[in-house]
Amino acid sequence: MATGPAPCTVRSPVALQVGDVKTDLARPGVAVIDVVLPPAQPLDLQEIIFKNSYTAFLTVRVQRRRPCDVGRDGTRKWVTCLWNHCLMPSPHTEAGSQDYFSLFRHQLLCDVDQVTAVRLILRQPSPVWLHFTLEELRLYPRGQQSLQTDFPSWLSHLAPQQQPENLHGGVPDPEKVSTEVQQLWVLTEMIRANQTAARIGRFDVDGCYDINLLSYT
Amino acid sequence: MASCEKRRSAPAPATGSGLVEPVRAGVGGREPESEAEFLLQSGVTSMVREALLKVLEARPEEPISFLASYFEKLVLSGPQGGAAGDRHGQHQRLGRALWYVRLAHHSHRTAFNNNVSMAYECLSARGRRKKPGVNGRIYSELLKKICQDGEAPEEVVSSLLRKIQCRDHEAVPFDVFRYGVLSCFVLLEFVAKADTLYNVLDDGSGVADKRVCQAVLGTLEDALGASDFSVPIRYLEAGSKLGPDCLALAMDKALLERKICSSMNREEFLKKATALFIAKVKPID
Repeated sequence: MATGPAPCTVRSPVALQVGDVKTDLARPGVAVIDVVLPPAQPLDLQEIIFKNSYTAFLTVRVQRRRPCDVGRDGTRKWVTCLWNHCLMPSPHTEAGSQDYFSLFRHQLLCDVDQVTAVRLILRQPSPVWLHFTLEELRLYPRGQQSLQTDFPSWLSHLAPQQQPENLHGGVPDPEKVSTEVQQLWVLTEMIRANQTAARIGRFDVDGCYDINLLSYT
Repeated sequence: MASCEKRRSAPAPATGSGLVEPVRAGVGGREPESEAEFLLQSGVTSMVREALLKVLEARPEEPISFLASYFEKLVLSGPQGGAAGDRHGQHQRLGRALWYVRLAHHSHRTAFNNNVSMAYECLSARGRRKKPGVNGRIYSELLKKICQDGEAPEEVVSSLLRKIQCRDHEAVPFDVFRYGVLSCFVLLEFVAKADTLYNVLDDGSGVADKRVCQAVLGTLEDALGASDFSVPIRYLEAGSKLGPDCLALAMDKALLERKICSSMNREEFLKKATALFIAKVKPID
């Protein structure tokens, strides 16, 4: 289970545009969100959760701290772990435009251990939407495998519902027995739950108030 | 009177014939006013309202006899309450308290609590010279009387009373009183339900197999076993352990164990079942 989102810095989306940004009026359909993780803490990624905001397609690339990933000139390679994942089935319409998405590590194309940076490339080919981005982006590291502390043991050992095929002849109807026994249980539970904290205040030892028997506590 | 006069004087300058009507209005206006006033002053309104509320709380099957006994108790508690001698008065108070606590079933929690508090107040008033309060003796007598009406066996009742009784000289606070009374009623219902369970287990033959009984009681004890979790989880756990399939398996397994057929009679079954219940009753200390 997730223990909580990993600390990271999410930069605001940068639109990729061909030509001069200021003079060219055409709206770009591609944006890039860079997520920078603290340099000393490479992340074993378990899950990426975000809320979509009118993005149609998503590509995710990661930079890992692996010796195989280092290119010839020493820089780290970017590895694609999700390519053109469709968030909106029809980019001109609203479907999926504001949904929450969750990407697990087993859905990704490559291994995402020891990640140092994540880049999300957003594409929105439709001219209908003025702005598109991803909101509430969170990365979850791989948590511990232990169960929660207050998890009752019997829930993890649930026996499957078995229908006993051939019951003995003398076994009484289980349904009726179960009804009655459950009512007995409820009555006992009720009396256990309604216990009073009030005390009469008896200080005797076995019915005797002899001064030699009384204790100081 | 002032309002009648106002009504009379206003139309008077208008027409001559108008004089007749205000007078009639004045006379007619006085009578319904005085009827309502009379009811209010004599306390009949509040008394009838109380009676109606009691009927609604208790939902008796025979409302008329219920109301009759209610008004009879009211008469007894009125002028004669403090006048009778102490023992006679105490007996009456006990009877009245018994009647109060029997009004509502213990599952109607608010109504039951109200009735218990009224019974407590009724028992607390102990006559002119004595100090008010419920002492252990009258509390224990009330508990015994409650348990007498049910069909619980003597042993069972005495083992419960041993846990919740108070000594004669002790002063019983309201919480302890309520807990004791509630335990008695729940025990009576428990005995009735255990009886029904025995009827199911014996399949109409009158005698149930000992192994089956022990298997069922063992499952119940297991489900009642101390668990520290919060209420919803405890209910889920009990529900899963006491479901028909688990019980069927337990009973089936029990029947496969030994070939000797011994039976458990009703008294023994009730004793064992109520022992499970009484174990959960917190003793008063």
